[in-house]
Amino acid sequence: MQYNKVNDGIIEELKTIVGAANVLTEHEKMEMYARDEVSDQLWEKMPEVVVKPENALQISEIVKLANRELVPITPRGGGTGLAAGAVPMIGGIVLSLEKMNRILEVDTENLFMVVEPGVTTGEVQKTAREHGLLYAGDPCSADSSFIGGNVATNAGGNKAVKYGVTTRHIYGLEIVMPNGDIVTFGGKNVKDVTGYDIVHLIVGSEGTLGIVTKIWLKLMPLPKYVADLLIPFADMQTAIKVVPKIMTAGIIPTCLEFMDSLSIKAAEMYLNKKLPYSDAGAYIICEVDGTSETQVQDDYETIGKLCQENGALEVFVADNKSTQERIWKARKSYAEAIRMLSPVYCMEDIVVPVSEIPKCLEAIERISKKYDCKIPSCGHAGDGNIHATILREGRDDHAWHELKDNVLRELYEVVYQLGGNLSGEHGIGAKRAEAMHKHMTEAQLNVLRSIKKALDPNNIMNPGKVLVLQ
Amino acid sequence: MNIVVLIKQVPGTDNVKMDPETGVMIRSGKDTIINPLDENALAEAVRIKNSRDDVKLTAISMGPESAMKALKEAVAMGADAGILLSGRVFAGSDTIATGRALSAAIKKLGQVDLIICGERATDGETGQTGAMIAEFLDIPVQTYVSALEVKDNSVIVKRTVEGGFEYVEVPFPVLVTVNKDINEPGFPTLDGKLKAKQVEIPVWGNEELGLDKSVLGLGGSPTRVVKVFSPKLSRDTIMRKADGTTGPVDELIQFLTGKEVL
Amino acid sequence: MPTMDLSNYKGVFVIGEQRDGKIHSVTYELLTRGRALADDLGCQLSCVLLGDEIENVQEVIYRGADKVFHIKSPALKNFLPRPYRNAICRLVEEEKPEIIVAAATTTGRTIMPLVAARLNTGLTADCTELTIDPETRILLQTRPAIGGNIMATIKTPNHRPQMATVRPKSAKPAPADPTRTGEIIVKEYDGAVFMTPEKFLRFVKDTTQQVNIEDADIIVAGGKGMKSAEGFRLVEELAEVLGAGVGATRDAVELGWTTYPHQIGLSGKTVSPKLYIALGLSGKIQHMAGMQTSEVIVAINKDPEAQIFKVADFGIVGDVFEVVPMLIEAIKKIKATA
Repeated sequence: MQYNKVNDGIIEELKTIVGAANVLTEHEKMEMYARDEVSDQLWEKMPEVVVKPENALQISEIVKLANRELVPITPRGGGTGLAAGAVPMIGGIVLSLEKMNRILEVDTENLFMVVEPGVTTGEVQKTAREHGLLYAGDPCSADSSFIGGNVATNAGGNKAVKYGVTTRHIYGLEIVMPNGDIVTFGGKNVKDVTGYDIVHLIVGSEGTLGIVTKIWLKLMPLPKYVADLLIPFADMQTAIKVVPKIMTAGIIPTCLEFMDSLSIKAAEMYLNKKLPYSDAGAYIICEVDGTSETQVQDDYETIGKLCQENGALEVFVADNKSTQERIWKARKSYAEAIRMLSPVYCMEDIVVPVSEIPKCLEAIERISKKYDCKIPSCGHAGDGNIHATILREGRDDHAWHELKDNVLRELYEVVYQLGGNLSGEHGIGAKRAEAMHKHMTEAQLNVLRSIKKALDPNNIMNPGKVLVLQ
Repeated sequence: MNIVVLIKQVPGTDNVKMDPETGVMIRSGKDTIINPLDENALAEAVRIKNSRDDVKLTAISMGPESAMKALKEAVAMGADAGILLSGRVFAGSDTIATGRALSAAIKKLGQVDLIICGERATDGETGQTGAMIAEFLDIPVQTYVSALEVKDNSVIVKRTVEGGFEYVEVPFPVLVTVNKDINEPGFPTLDGKLKAKQVEIPVWGNEELGLDKSVLGLGGSPTRVVKVFSPKLSRDTIMRKADGTTGPVDELIQFLTGKEVL
Repeated sequence: MPTMDLSNYKGVFVIGEQRDGKIHSVTYELLTRGRALADDLGCQLSCVLLGDEIENVQEVIYRGADKVFHIKSPALKNFLPRPYRNAICRLVEEEKPEIIVAAATTTGRTIMPLVAARLNTGLTADCTELTIDPETRILLQTRPAIGGNIMATIKTPNHRPQMATVRPKSAKPAPADPTRTGEIIVKEYDGAVFMTPEKFLRFVKDTTQQVNIEDADIIVAGGKGMKSAEGFRLVEELAEVLGAGVGATRDAVELGWTTYPHQIGLSGKTVSPKLYIALGLSGKIQHMAGMQTSEVIVAINKDPEAQIFKVADFGIVGDVFEVVPMLIEAIKKIKATA
């Protein structure tokens, strides 16, 4: 595929479409659009131009222009991605949705919220809560990630065990298609099988099939009572073997998370706070919620006792805001805290069936020993999603790339043997595209390619993400 | 050794909102927490309790019936017992009347060696009640304590003051108010929660305290609130909207140079 | 409760502070407050100093006191609550002031509740404003209340003295006027007054508290709108090019973006610099209680409705991440040419 550079004429046209103030070309202003949260220079690339459209019509014009000029477009949300999905790896236009940040409607009768993509997930959660409702999507980066990015990556997060990943909360989308058409699929109907399920084709497509400009989010009643358990264990294996026991105890926890000893240490350093039993081998964090206080109590007592019987060092209970915040601060700081151990790292997003987590973690430990590198792990035990993170520490470029290649190769092999997959919630982006191709069959890839080709024949929408450039 | 921890139940900070029209506070009653510094006080008491085997730890709170929840939480975190002062007779108490009631409750417990509380509460932020209680009990007080060492018959405290730390030794009985540097507050345990379910927390009114009613509640409070208002803020503000150019910033610089503050 | 004869109480007391025999500047701020009240009431202003040898007591007269009571004892060299309480209560019994004002320092905030409880009178903490009701001659004490969301005016109608603490730096130090005259009275009470079971062991200077934003001429402060610890670095960057102190809201400190000594507001420090630049902070009363007396206030916030604009002299509605880098560049240019 041959793309054209963004020339002065294109920039002038972009200015006409969105206004001069919404077009950035200066190097220092575009810098923050050159990367996401992947901590490796390998996944940084300067845009040729950044545009900040304010509505779907402007986006449509930009997309048409890009098609005519054969310039790639990289849509961008909050920039908190972990797969370089919003990084313009082959240059072109970065289309930031930051200006489209309005909450359009909170429909308390039908339990829907209609928003633009640039609203932060935290704002969505907060607005729902203010109406006594719950938006159940809850990625760790909620405070800064955009809801549009959550849709693009089909973000998972902490509450996926009980409430499912982002796609489960999305009932309608307005999309600017790669040819510039503005189309709406779905809406406030809970049942809707009118034609193909385009909504859920677009969710998780990482901006490769179109740009989402309006989102219909499903809300649910806000559970009145929430309790969190923080359960330290002497070692990882004892901790993780409790997970399937909890999952089959007749209670669906809202969250079921784990942190290994290195992650605990990192969180302690990052927060500059002593955590309880911080010399423990692992933490399990488990949340239950419900509408009845006694039900929630019964649930956490059942789970707590189960943990006590299975080697827990202690079971801490947090059922108010201050204690809960203290627990979650430790868990949610993982991505930042890891920097305390090594500023450069490679965070993975593997997922395996819950019953296979112990084997997977054993394998991670084995690989870590074999290559003499630290691989702290932390993640969503309740859905088998493990954020194993390879630390670069003092290695030089060559040693680091070699280490990553070796570790990832062995790690993915294990994951596939266990019936898992290589990304649970962060997405493929540019970072994992090659690995995905390696592990998918040609037939599978052909399905993906056909869809892409049908909708985006010029391959201008976020090229090089998910599918490798031909 | 008898230790008392004083606990106040306060609203979770985000929940206090103002009605923009009337200026009246809208309090969502449900989401309450133990005053954060009182959690530090409790954690310190539990630490002392765990370091020796003769400690009886009692948590006391004054407030509405719902403050029972905070006391149960204190028991779940390691207190042996809890007492709630509650009733209409206490309504409208200022810090003096509150201090007097709480000190009467402590007196009723008999000999108490160490009383610990947070330096201030996040709702009132007066930071007065602790010292006032010490005065009504006529025992020494040490405030702004960021470290505490229990000796045989005394405590050595480290006070965080302007520009440094003061170290003071005080024999029992003594009241200590703590700041957040003293420790990391703990968490309730499952066993503690189960215990808290069983523990009866008595509710004391003035029958138990036996004070003259005129010294309690609003009638016993020397201070009166004259009015509550949203502060009127006004300066002549020059407003500019960022437009992607350096225009507004240039204007700002000019303004600041004119005011001779740059 | 038996009613007091209020008319027996006259005059305004401020409780000065010293360390190592040197009068602390907060004393002069109290004299500003006290002088205004005494003038309104048409009564005398007295300053109480507790300590052993104290240097330059005359300065207190120059700065507005009509009388200085220097309660003198080696037992008062360092602050211990009991001897201080006993000495003040003794003097109050003798002199019967109608108002006592102290600084909301660790000393003032410790001693005042003890005295108030002992004298069974009202005390209002952290006042931002003290005025006299012209009709009743009663002290009106205004302070932020309920997490700083509202202001409350409080009075002590039927008890004396009326007592209040005020935030350090919330008033300018009274200027010295060497022509002023007044009386310095040294009080030497008997030993029983200073008896205490407390033992002062030592004072250790803390160099980590060096962050002294109270004295900075320029402060750049950031709030939740800085989004992250990384975002907050922009506040520090602007502060650096300006040679300014770094301030923060309670939210920003609680999120761990900076440390407590930088916190400005009701639960942090009160500052009054020449220039205050507020970045990505909405201006909760909690915060504004600590900075609204700044001479010039600049606010940059993307929400045009943000409260902070109401106290600002110059406001820019816009994204801090867009505007502040421009501002940094512009200031760098000025500094380069200067």
